[in-house]
Amino acid sequence: MNRNKDLKNYKHDLNYLNHSSSGRLRSNTGYVFTYIILIIQSLVIIYPIFLTITTSLKTNRQIFKNPFGMPTDFNLGNYIKLFEKANYVKYFLNSLIVSVSAILIILIVSSLASYALSKYKFFGNKFLSLYFLAGLMIPIRLGTINIMQIFQTMHLYNNLLSLIIIYSAMGIPAGILIFSGFMKEIPDELNDSGRVDGCSEFGIFRKIIVPLLGPAIVVVAVYNLIPIWNDFWFPMVLINNENLMTVPLATAKLFGQYETDYGIIFALLTSAAVPPMVLFITLSKYFVKGLTAGAVKG
Amino acid sequence: MKRKITVTFVFCLAAIFVAVFSMLGCQSAPVSETAETAVSETTAEETIPAEADETTQAEEKVTLRYTSLRTEDVDAINRINAEFTKAYPNIEIKFEPIKNTEYDAALKTSLETKTGADIVMLRSFDGGRQIYDSGYLLELNDLIPNMSSDFTPNSLRAWSTDDGKIYGLPYFGSIDAVWYNKAIFAEYNLSEPETWDEFLSICQTLKDNGETVFAHGTKDTWVLTETLYCDLGPNFYGGEESRLSLINKEIKFTDQRFIDAFDKLAELIPYFPKGYEGIDYVTMQQMFLNEQAAMWIGGSWELGMIAESGIDAGWFAPPVENKGDTTHYAFYADLALGINKDTQYKDACVKYLQWVATAEHASLLANELPGMYPPLTVEYKIDNELAQKIIDITRMDNVKVTGQLMWEKLSSQEPSGNSLLDEVSQKFFNKKMTSNEAVEYVQKGLDTWYFK
Amino acid sequence: MNLSKIEKNSFKKFRWYILWFLLPALIIYTVFMILPLFNSMRMSFYTGPGIVPKEFIGFGNYIKLFTQFPFNIRLSNALLNNIKLFIMVMFFQNLIGFFFAILITRKIKGTKFFRTLFFIPTALSVIVVGFIFSLILNPVWGIFDRLLEFIGFGAYITPWLGNPKTALVAIALVVAWHNIGIPVVFFTAAIDGISEDVLEAARIDGVSLSGEVRHIIFPLLKPTIGIVSILTFVGNFSEFEIVYSMTGISGSPEFATDIFGSLFYRTTFGTTMNVVSDVGLGAAIATIMFMIILIGVLFFLRIFKREV
Repeated sequence: MNRNKDLKNYKHDLNYLNHSSSGRLRSNTGYVFTYIILIIQSLVIIYPIFLTITTSLKTNRQIFKNPFGMPTDFNLGNYIKLFEKANYVKYFLNSLIVSVSAILIILIVSSLASYALSKYKFFGNKFLSLYFLAGLMIPIRLGTINIMQIFQTMHLYNNLLSLIIIYSAMGIPAGILIFSGFMKEIPDELNDSGRVDGCSEFGIFRKIIVPLLGPAIVVVAVYNLIPIWNDFWFPMVLINNENLMTVPLATAKLFGQYETDYGIIFALLTSAAVPPMVLFITLSKYFVKGLTAGAVKG
Repeated sequence: MKRKITVTFVFCLAAIFVAVFSMLGCQSAPVSETAETAVSETTAEETIPAEADETTQAEEKVTLRYTSLRTEDVDAINRINAEFTKAYPNIEIKFEPIKNTEYDAALKTSLETKTGADIVMLRSFDGGRQIYDSGYLLELNDLIPNMSSDFTPNSLRAWSTDDGKIYGLPYFGSIDAVWYNKAIFAEYNLSEPETWDEFLSICQTLKDNGETVFAHGTKDTWVLTETLYCDLGPNFYGGEESRLSLINKEIKFTDQRFIDAFDKLAELIPYFPKGYEGIDYVTMQQMFLNEQAAMWIGGSWELGMIAESGIDAGWFAPPVENKGDTTHYAFYADLALGINKDTQYKDACVKYLQWVATAEHASLLANELPGMYPPLTVEYKIDNELAQKIIDITRMDNVKVTGQLMWEKLSSQEPSGNSLLDEVSQKFFNKKMTSNEAVEYVQKGLDTWYFK
Repeated sequence: MNLSKIEKNSFKKFRWYILWFLLPALIIYTVFMILPLFNSMRMSFYTGPGIVPKEFIGFGNYIKLFTQFPFNIRLSNALLNNIKLFIMVMFFQNLIGFFFAILITRKIKGTKFFRTLFFIPTALSVIVVGFIFSLILNPVWGIFDRLLEFIGFGAYITPWLGNPKTALVAIALVVAWHNIGIPVVFFTAAIDGISEDVLEAARIDGVSLSGEVRHIIFPLLKPTIGIVSILTFVGNFSEFEIVYSMTGISGSPEFATDIFGSLFYRTTFGTTMNVVSDVGLGAAIATIMFMIILIGVLFFLRIFKREV
C-alpha cells in the first residue's frame, strides 16, 4: 500500500518536473496567470459590495462630490436616519418568523416523506418520487394567480402564514431530494433492529433515523434559507401591510421612498445585504452540498 | 369549492400534526426534539394573525389606514393628519404610501382581497373609475354635503360618473410648466421666455456656456407624456379644444396638430443632458435639486422638495409660438381620496373626508405641500409666494387651462391611450421614431377599441 | 433477509403508516404548488374584472395574445428578449463559470477561499443586487462611467440602462455577476469528482490543458452542464426581480428589457396610470411560460441524457 502511494507521489513529482516549463498551469507563468484572472474576478465580485458598504458611511455631499473616496470618518448618520424613519427591526423579525417557520415545516414534512420514499417499497413509489422532483423544475410563481385566489378565500391575505405555507411548498422538493439521498445511505439493518425491538414505524423513524439526519438537516435548512429569505415576489403579491413586510419587500418600498437620499439608500442596501452574506459565509459548506445534491443524481 | 379545499387542508394539517406527534415513538420515547420544534412553530404561527389584526383591535380609538402613491409626502401628510387627530382625538390616521409605479397593482389586489386601506388615493378619470366600477368605493354625494358646491366642476368631473355619482373627493390638482434655477439664469442674464424662439435661444446660451440645460431623461416613460408632451405640447396641438375633440372622436391622433407638437418638442432634444436615455425621474430630481441643471420641465408638486433643498427656483408657463398667442396651461385634477366600501370604520372615514373638504385642510395641504392645489372654489390661504404665483397664472388673461391629453376616457381599456403615448414618446425622444410614425402607432392602438 | 419477510407479510394489509409519512408533504406540495399551477392555467380561459375572472371565453385570451395589436408584439418581444437573455447568461455566467471552475480546481493555494468568494453574491437578494447596479450604472452619478473615463474609455460611455442596445446586455451581466457561483460550484464539484487517476494518466501522456478540458473534463461533465443549463433556463424564463429593480416593470427602454416575468406582472396586476389589469390574460401568459419551460427542460434533459 505504502509503496503504491510513494510511487504515485513520485509519479506526480516527475510529472510536475516534466511539465514545469511547458506553459501548463503548474508552471510559474501558469500560476501567475491563474492568480491574475482569479484576483481580477474577485475584485469584480467584491468591489460593488465594498462600494455599497463604504458609500453607506458617507454623507450625501461626499457621495456626489467624491464617489470613489473612502468615507472620511466613520459616519453612521445614514443608519440612524434609516432606523428612525423605518421600522427595520420589525421587517427583520418578519423575515425571521417566515423563514424559520417555513424551514421547520420543510424539515418535518420532507424528512417524513423521504423516509417513506426511500425505505418502503410500495405501489407508486417511483411515480411519487418523480412527482416531488418535478417541483425542482417548476417555478412556483407561475401559479401566482391561483395562489392569490386560494389565500383570498382562506382570508390569509396580508398574513405571514400565507408566505410560510408557500415557502414550505416551494422547499419540499429540494428537501425530499436531499433527505432521500441521505437516507438511502443508511443501512436497512438499523430499521430492522428497531422492528425487532418492537418499535412502531414512526418509532423507528424518530428514534433511529432522525438522530442520524443531523448533517442532512443542516443542508436542507441552509439550502432553503437563502431563497426564502431573499424572495421578493410572494411578499410583493401577498403582503401590503407595512407591519408585515419582509426585508426584501421593505427594501423595495424604502428604496422608492428615499430615492433622492443616496446615503439612506446605501445604508438600506447594506442592511439588506450584510446579514445573508455573513450567514452564507459561515454556512457556505452546507449550501454547496445542498446545491450539488441534484448534480450527483443527474 | 375553494372553501372546501381550505377546510380539507386545515383539517388534514391539524390531523397530521396530531397524528405524527401522538403516535410517535416507542412507548418510552423521551421528550422528542421534533415535538419541541413543532410547539415553537405553532406559537410562531399563532402570533401572526394577531399582528395582522393589530389595527382592528381597539374599539374606542380608531386607526384608519390611508394609502397613497405619494411616498415622498410621509412627513408632511403625517403633520396634516396630526391636526385632524387634534380635532378628533379618537381617530388616528396611519399613512401607508406605496411607490407610484406599483401603487395601482397593490391597490387593486388589496381591495379585491379585502385587505385594503380604509382611505385610498385615486388617480383621476379612468384610473379611479376602474376602482369604482369594480365596486370597491363608497359614493360620496350624500356623505360630504358641501362637495358639489365647494369644488370646481372640472375637478369633480374627474371622479364622477356620467349620471353624477361622485366616488372621489378631489384632493389636489397639479400644474405643469418649467422650473428654472434663478442663479444660473442670472449668471447669463437670462429672463423668463415668452415665445418658443426665446426659449430655444436661452437653451443655446446655456449650452454654449457648458451648462446642463435640462434635468431631463427618457428612462421613465410617464415623464414624457405627463410633463413633456402634455406640458409644453398643448400650445402646439391646441390645448383643451383639441383634447375634447379627440375624446369626442371629431379628430384622430394622426391630426397634423399632434404631429406638430411632437416636432416642436424635438427641438429640445439637443439640450437634453448627455446619456438622457438612461436618466430616470429620480435622477432628474437630483440633478435639479443639486443645481446641476438650469431647467426642469416638470410639475408644481415638486415645489416642496425644491423649497426644502433651499435652491432659488423660478417658474415660467409653457412658451407660445408667437407673442400674444393663447397660453395653454396644464392644470389638471390629479388625485382624490375615496373610501373603501369594506371599511369597518365608515363613520371615521367620512369624518376625515369631511375635514379634508374644508378650506382649513386645503390651506394646511397647500402650505405643507406647496405646489399642490386643492381644487376648491372657496378661498384658501397659500403662504408660499411661488406656489401662489404658479396658480395665479391660471387666472391671467389669454391663458386657457387644459388637462392631461389621454387620461379621460381614452385610457379605460388596453391598449390605453396613455400607455401608447408613453411608448411612442420614449421612442420619439430617443430618436427611434418619427413624429408621423408616433401618431400613427397611437392611433393604431386606439383604433382597436376606442375609434372602433 | 428480515426486511424482505416484513415486506412480504405486509403486502396483505394496507400499510397506513406509509400514507401518514407521505401525506403532509404531499398535501402541502399538491395544494399549494401543483394545483395552483393547473388552476392558473384554467383561469386563462376566462375573462372579467378582479382576481377571479368569471366569464368563460375559451381560447379568447390566447387569440388576443397571438393576433391582436399590441399584445402580439409584446408577447413575441418578450419571448425574443428572454431567449437573448438566456443565451447571454449561458455565455457570461455558465461558460465563464466553467472556465473559473477549471482554474479553481487546479492545484493552487486558496481554492477554498475563491470558491466561497465566487458564491457570495448569490447569497444576496436579486432586488438588492439590481438596485446596487442600477445606482452604479446611473449616467449622472454612477461610478461605472467614471471608472471608464478614468481608464480612458470615456468615449464608449452610453446610458447603459437607457440604450435599448445595451440595456439587456447590462442586465445579463448583472445576472451573471449575481449567479456565477452556481455554475462554479456545480462544475468544481463535478471536476473534483473525476478520478484523479484519469487526469494523472492523461497528464503523463502529455495531454495539454486544452486537450484535457476537451477530451476528459468536458465529456465527463455533460450531465452537470445539462443541470446548469436547465437551472439557467428555468430561472431566466421566470425572471422578474432583476428587471423590476434595474429598468422597471414596463420593460424600459422601448421594451428592450421586457421579458415574460414583467409582461406577466403588468398584464395581471396593471401598473402605472390607467393600465388595465387582466387576470385572465395574465394567466394565459403564465401558461405560455409554463409550456416554454416544460419544452425547454425536456429538450435539455434529452440532449444531455442521450449522450451520457
